Amino acid sequence: MCGITKAFVRDLPVLESVDFDIAAGEIHSLLGENGAGKSTLMNVLVGLVRPDAGTLVVAGEPVDFATFGPAQAARCGIGMVHQHSALVPAMTVVENFAFGDPDGGWLFRPARRRSAVQALAERFDFDVPLDRRVEDLSVGERQRAEILRVLGRGARVLILDEPTSVLTPGEARRLFTSLRRLRDSGHSVVFISHKLGEVEEIADRVTVLRRGRTVGVLDVAEADAPTLGRKMLGRDVAPLDRTGRPPVAAASGPPLLQLNGLAAPGATEASRLRGLSLAVRAGEIVGVAGIDGNGQRELEEVLAGVRAPSSGELRIRGEAVTPGARSLRAAGLAHLSGDRETSGLIAGFSLAENLILKGSYDDRRFFRRGCLDLGAARTAARDVAARYGVVPNDPDADIAVLSGGNAQKLTVARELDGDPAVLVAVNPARGLDVGAARFVHERLIERRAAGAAILLISTELDEVMALSDRLVALVRGTFVPIPAGADRAEIGAILLGGTVT
Amino acid sequence: MTVRDERLVDVARASFAIVLALVVVAAALALLGFEPGPALAALARGSLGGTAALTATVLKTTPLLLTGLGVALCFRCGVWNIGAEGQLLVGALCATAVATRLLPDAPAVVLLPAVVLSGALGGFAVAAVAGALRASRGVSEVISTILLNFVAIQLVALAVHGPLQEAAGAYPKSDPFPVAALLPAIGRWHLGIAVAALLAVATEVLLFRTAIGFRMRAVGLAPRAARFAGISPERIGLATLGLGGAFAGLAGAFEVAGVTGQLYEGISPGHGYTAIAVALLAKLHPLAVIPSALFFGALEAGAGAMQREAGVPASVTQVVQGIAILVSATFAVAARRRPGAAAAGAASAAAEEAT
Amino acid sequence: MEALLEAAVRLAAPLLLAALGELIVERAGVVNIGVEGTMLTGAFVGFAAAVASDSAGLGVAAAAFAGCAVGVLFAFFAIARGTDQIVVGMAVNLLAVGATGLAARALYAGATPSGPTLSSEPLPFAGDLPYLGPILFSHTPFVYAAFGLAIAVGFALTRTRAGLRLRAVGEVARAADAEGVPVARVRVTAIVLGSCLAGVAGAALSLAQSDTFTESMTAGRGFIALAVVIFGRWSARGVVLAALFFGLANALQFRAQAQGFEIPYPIFLMFPYLVTLTVLAFVAARARAPADLGTPYNRERL
Repeated sequence: MCGITKAFVRDLPVLESVDFDIAAGEIHSLLGENGAGKSTLMNVLVGLVRPDAGTLVVAGEPVDFATFGPAQAARCGIGMVHQHSALVPAMTVVENFAFGDPDGGWLFRPARRRSAVQALAERFDFDVPLDRRVEDLSVGERQRAEILRVLGRGARVLILDEPTSVLTPGEARRLFTSLRRLRDSGHSVVFISHKLGEVEEIADRVTVLRRGRTVGVLDVAEADAPTLGRKMLGRDVAPLDRTGRPPVAAASGPPLLQLNGLAAPGATEASRLRGLSLAVRAGEIVGVAGIDGNGQRELEEVLAGVRAPSSGELRIRGEAVTPGARSLRAAGLAHLSGDRETSGLIAGFSLAENLILKGSYDDRRFFRRGCLDLGAARTAARDVAARYGVVPNDPDADIAVLSGGNAQKLTVARELDGDPAVLVAVNPARGLDVGAARFVHERLIERRAAGAAILLISTELDEVMALSDRLVALVRGTFVPIPAGADRAEIGAILLGGTVT
Repeated sequence: MTVRDERLVDVARASFAIVLALVVVAAALALLGFEPGPALAALARGSLGGTAALTATVLKTTPLLLTGLGVALCFRCGVWNIGAEGQLLVGALCATAVATRLLPDAPAVVLLPAVVLSGALGGFAVAAVAGALRASRGVSEVISTILLNFVAIQLVALAVHGPLQEAAGAYPKSDPFPVAALLPAIGRWHLGIAVAALLAVATEVLLFRTAIGFRMRAVGLAPRAARFAGISPERIGLATLGLGGAFAGLAGAFEVAGVTGQLYEGISPGHGYTAIAVALLAKLHPLAVIPSALFFGALEAGAGAMQREAGVPASVTQVVQGIAILVSATFAVAARRRPGAAAAGAASAAAEEAT
Repeated sequence: MEALLEAAVRLAAPLLLAALGELIVERAGVVNIGVEGTMLTGAFVGFAAAVASDSAGLGVAAAAFAGCAVGVLFAFFAIARGTDQIVVGMAVNLLAVGATGLAARALYAGATPSGPTLSSEPLPFAGDLPYLGPILFSHTPFVYAAFGLAIAVGFALTRTRAGLRLRAVGEVARAADAEGVPVARVRVTAIVLGSCLAGVAGAALSLAQSDTFTESMTAGRGFIALAVVIFGRWSARGVVLAALFFGLANALQFRAQAQGFEIPYPIFLMFPYLVTLTVLAFVAARARAPADLGTPYNRERL
């Protein structure tokens, strides 16, 4: 790929003149922060996105982007396993293999197709249950099925987009073994990641992307972590400065937030909450580490008052609170989320309207006697925009025009308004560039110093480790304590002990 | 784009829809062997040419305005209320029951409000059935409100053939309303016209200046995000459905108490369905419903003249409605309202996609 | 009793045809509430063509074609232009009522004639069976077509690659796209096919159940067809059973009317709609729709 350029929105290019090449029989990692452009580049390669400029040559033949779609890419031997599963949950594994197959006639013969898939699984030595519906499979099994399907289409170039984000360390190791096997048999693997450790472990070569540009193509054997880190981030990766913070002992007094035996239904069997108990005192940050899919979303939704727990209780400042968005907020709990689905921002509403959104029942500054005071809201929004540096700063602008970082600043302003006693922060820096992430983290530390009790739920281990006074792991809907002073390897082992599979 | 620019674009698009609809209809008429020229002229005369025509237009506009408001409110909150027709009919039914059977001898100061109120309650009740089915049994309100329309038509038939039938028992219609139950009027311009216009303003105020309206808009744009703000999309949906039903029921009451003076089958020539066109052309904006209702009201008033003078059947109005709906809903950045769908909004969406 | 069952099968046929069409469309992820208008259009066009050519068969063909045309209209706005599917469906209904009314007046100037019809023909051997014969095998071609198509659709959805692709598009359009399935093309095809069936269902009304065309003669059957799809849990077999259920209810209604029960006429007319509402109240919550139903798909936005 040469000179690939793409902008989804005018003047905001996601990719600028990116070069990328891959040879047969190698594992090539595509490394970069969130938002660097990795997925988009691969979407170009697999025919889902048409670039504005640039060329693609496959096995010596140039590609005409006007006619290059997923079907054509598959014929060229390129296949991708996306971050979000491309399997149909309601259909069986065998059906999933059948519907996209370009060869195979108009009739679907279940038995025949099944033996074909079986043969495929044996050839590549993948263990995939064939007769169940995809919705009944574990995450690891689904991923293996998808990889097998891509291989079955004749892919020689296999692209994996952040495959380990949903796997336990054990499953990840299994995956790496399979990938090495594929490489040794002549396949090429493109491994998209933002995790330095994985790249070092599995890749032969690595291309680093930063803000849509190639900043380096290195042999992994020759590059070391600091070099890669510097290229990825543009400067030395320094851990968040922990000096100047009061020692843990300063967190004292009765707990401001208590979870007692909290249980709730989950999206999957693994993410069901089973009797969670935890206490967070004033002036401390308790971090909940874990791999996505172990109940984080469910826990967040219970604390935000959007998911009803089946048993257990929540106490704020010692008082039991009936779980509900309004009652929790009234009791002093604020919910700050970096995830689009739970951030509580409404596209189509202006900055001002989003700022006052959670106060429509009881915030007398903006809602008096059932009436909305838009002028006061606008003033407040302008004020926030100035203080936090939100761009654009027009209070009537639709929030949909804001970038992720700016929208998140607004969320931070909204949730920290009124100095809440308890703060539940969930992936607060997701999708943000380094500057914005640092901003959010600093606000959290400020609140901690002011005596708030903060529960930080994050799937980014580095974030949780850097910010928390105390750590606990969420594994299969249960809290597992993490001893003080544990390092990444030890924590990883704890996250492992209770597999998602 | 500022809010003002967006409004201008909406007006332009609505005008384009109207013009296109009329042009297409003229072409269709020509194709079918009618003469478009005289037909359209009759249309204009029947709707705008003279006091009688204007009166007819305004009288047709009023129920469209009320039902259109109700429908617009519901659509804004993501509730597909297709049942304005049935809600209107039951409203008329309840108003007639009160006026001719329950309180026929009451003085105007009691009877009139009772009639009007019962109309609103009747419409509310019908909508509430659909709402209950939606909330407790997950039945799509699209289907249930439409089915209830058919039920309502038969309820009116049942009533005028039975309990509400006129004393003489000769025709399937109700007794004429006692004078005390009739809306005060100047000539044929009844009080309901003013009430409808005021309600349009009130609805605008409700949506944009009150806390409840704020929550309604939030739910309409993003029900899931609204939940995190403590807003219950289910409750808001029920409330708007009820309100929409009440508005339609009110329209029904105004029809029997202000225009016809009695109930009979076919009292509504599909106002509830036209209301959908009215609401969509107005882009669900309460104040814009007024001109939109005027347009469709004029169309209906003129269609009568067109049928008499040019022999063009009144079904032409539905063709215009259909085209108007399609055009105004399509060349719209209607997707603007959905998260991440705006061209500019794609920036944040794309940034999140490009991991 | 025999006559009742025979009537149930006969009355179920138009509903079944329309519901099968809608089933195909909804399994592909699209909601088309314009079935009612499509049926009406088919009823009119079929009738007009039959009268003009004095051949009911030609009328059916014309109705099928008209259905396809309406389908193309719907697909253009709903898929190509991305207009909200409910809105487009309502527009189709309004246009159909208006256009058929207009055309009927233009052609027949208020005096609609009686047209040729397709009559019931007993099948060669099966029609002579003692009990089942008259009930199942002595019907108009519409009935045979309806049940035959039900089997075909059921087979196609589960045992052909096209059917799998269609289901994938209706469940997770994004996944289908990634697998190289042309999502838009599949949906448009489904819509045109479904509308064609709805058009034929309309012809069943004006060319078999009655011998003429009256304005709005579909009387909400299209909407009941929507309920049949839900009641049938989006499977071909379920749709057949659901259609038969409604056919039976309809037959009972006519029987009670004929017996001269002391029940006012409007109550009979209300009956099908009340039954539908009741059925939906019990069934809707538990039936599982195709996951992507009603969601437009656009590749460059998630």
